[in-house]
Amino acid sequence: MAFLHNLGTICILIGIPFFVSGTIGLLRFPDIYTRLHALTKADNVGLGFVVLGLALQAEQWNTVARLLLIWLLVLVASSASCHLVARAALRKKIQPWSRS
Amino acid sequence: MPGKFSCISFPSTILLGRLLVRLLLFSVLWCVLAGLDWQNWIIGLPTILAATFCSLLFAPQQPCPVSFLGLLRFIPFFVNLSFWGGCDVMRRALSPAMPMNPGLVRYQVSLPEVPQQVLLINCISLLPGTISADFHEQCITIHTIDRDMPVWSTVHHLERRVAALFGIRVAGGRP
Amino acid sequence: MNWLYSTAALCLLSAIVAGLLRILRGPTAADSMLAAQLFGTCGVAILLLLSKGLDWLVLQDIALVFALLAALAAVAFALRTWGGTER
Repeated sequence: MAFLHNLGTICILIGIPFFVSGTIGLLRFPDIYTRLHALTKADNVGLGFVVLGLALQAEQWNTVARLLLIWLLVLVASSASCHLVARAALRKKIQPWSRS
Repeated sequence: MPGKFSCISFPSTILLGRLLVRLLLFSVLWCVLAGLDWQNWIIGLPTILAATFCSLLFAPQQPCPVSFLGLLRFIPFFVNLSFWGGCDVMRRALSPAMPMNPGLVRYQVSLPEVPQQVLLINCISLLPGTISADFHEQCITIHTIDRDMPVWSTVHHLERRVAALFGIRVAGGRP
Repeated sequence: MNWLYSTAALCLLSAIVAGLLRILRGPTAADSMLAAQLFGTCGVAILLLLSKGLDWLVLQDIALVFALLAALAAVAFALRTWGGTER
């Protein structure tokens, strides 16, 4: 039990840098599309690790199931809204930033 | 499909099967959300029945059949890719030079049905280096953060995995 | 409350606050919307951590509602407010 608890702690600690780098990407990246990259991917992996860590530390099965449900919901929601925002930006003729 | 209330026209045995499957699904969902305490079922039972009724009313068609083995193989594949997607973004965001070379790529979809295409589009946004930006007439516009990445082959691989999840095969396609 | 959960929640909170700078800088409305989306995912994570740390299971349900609302907000924004030329 202590082993699972420690493993969960490690997972939560791994998750935090992903959130932080998502925010850094949101602030540093040059245009709306690249910021969407940062936000969608980094935050979902971060939330995945936090959920995994909390699930390893959970005492009841239905807490685990609820955590997974929340993660799945956020996953679907953020990838769908990422697509919608990117589509709206493209249709508004916002040009992607490019290096050249 | 809104406005198409055709559940009465199905043969009753098929309808009964769907009813039982959805009843079971909503019951499990209720257990997860509210816990196993039997007193919850005073509210839970009417809620489950109402949810089942609404789902049969608004979505009488069974969504595409998902192969269980395909699902078992798809989950680790997806988790692995989205993990690397997060790592990739983290690397780019944290490195001082901020290496990126963004651009738009088009991809021709060969998956036949809408649920499969929706799954593909949603998964692309979690893959390393790609987000799906538009979908029009079987063609996905993908924004990639680095044009030097093998976008086409990654997405094609994903498409084959999605097809396997639904138990179908897709053609080779072209880059 | 255990140090782990409080520290982690504090880190995430500072990530949100830093993300709010994007609202100030803009330039488009969508960039501000991204900060709201950040609020969604980070907020869910904070609520889950606090729910464990305070041993207060209700916060999990609030996190669930948070996730739903963030999704609806983004969809409404993209389809009606910002990209609302068609439809």
